Amino acid sequence: MNERQGGADERRQNLIKLASAVAFIAVAVVVVLIVVSQNQGSDSGGDSSDLDGIAEVKQELAGIPQNGMVLGEPGAKVTVLEFADLQCPVCKGYSEEVLPQIVENQVRSGEAKLSFRNFVIIDEQSIPAGAAAIAAGKQGRGWNFVELFYRNQGAERSGYVTDEFLTAIAEGAGVPDIDKWNRDRESKAILGEVAASTREAQELGFNGTPSFAMEGPGAEGTEALGTPESAGALESAISSAAG
Amino acid sequence: MKAPAEGTLRGVGTFLATFGIGVATYIAIAESGGGSPVCVAGGHGCQTVAESSYSHLLGVNIAIFGIFGYVLLLAAALLRGDLARMTGFAIALVGFGYSLYLTYLEVFTIEAICQWCVASAVLMTLLFATNSLRMLAYVGTEP
Repeated sequence: MNERQGGADERRQNLIKLASAVAFIAVAVVVVLIVVSQNQGSDSGGDSSDLDGIAEVKQELAGIPQNGMVLGEPGAKVTVLEFADLQCPVCKGYSEEVLPQIVENQVRSGEAKLSFRNFVIIDEQSIPAGAAAIAAGKQGRGWNFVELFYRNQGAERSGYVTDEFLTAIAEGAGVPDIDKWNRDRESKAILGEVAASTREAQELGFNGTPSFAMEGPGAEGTEALGTPESAGALESAISSAAG
Repeated sequence: MKAPAEGTLRGVGTFLATFGIGVATYIAIAESGGGSPVCVAGGHGCQTVAESSYSHLLGVNIAIFGIFGYVLLLAAALLRGDLARMTGFAIALVGFGYSLYLTYLEVFTIEAICQWCVASAVLMTLLFATNSLRMLAYVGTEP
């Protein structure tokens, strides 16, 4: 009986030792996960001397009229309002994966136009970023600025939205007069536009970015759409708004 | 102090893991398509956390990892024996450690609190306590 008890105790002691090893491995797994998470978070991006995507953005938008922050033919029947935050990684994903199809099919054909509106959600750095985009729009390069910003977006709250970063984006976007752009982006009028569009998004009931709304003959006023899950869903909404 | 009966610990573990699956599934569904969970008391904490780059790991929503972890913890709670005790302890330790890190990020880096993430962190802490107690008190004993 004692021998059996002793064997059980020994087995238990061995299992406790094994559990200690398991605990060690579990802690190591947590450390690895944290390191991976930190590495993706520390990708601050925005190296002003080495912007990504200048040629792609230029090619994507080539030949499409821009008026302020509106991309597309002014007479297009449908206006797609995009409420987005330039620092938002989901907006970046949308800009790279969903919007190119809309731009190529609906905007280039003149069926719809896209209106970019700032919806400040990440933090206060989104305000100068949004103002810089609007100021670029004053010189016909608003969408180039937005698209190039997304392609060089860093991790939010990493402090990458500096004057140097914004200037690099403006230059990469082809803003012709940087001095004017600098004056414009700090003007009360443009900063007021950023605040106004953020209020507009909230009044439409949006609580995430990017969020979309439609205007057109088939829509009742400004119709809140939310965040369509695919380019197909957004295309269908455009068709409905076209009447 | 005598540990609670293993059956009691497994029952508590089953309840907590099931609850955790619900919370993580809600977060995953709410964040799919670029949305965010609705903070019960209002505010933008859930939205800010969902928008953060830390809400994804290797391109996958953290909540998906959470669902996977809670399912393993549920299985460990439902099963008998040393393998279930060890697995429950190991998964709960990983979940607890990463939840601590995420809570730290919310408070000091993202500077926003998501109530659903806090709920998940509390559940993971309780699961860690339950599974640790189960493993320490009953490993090596007859199921």
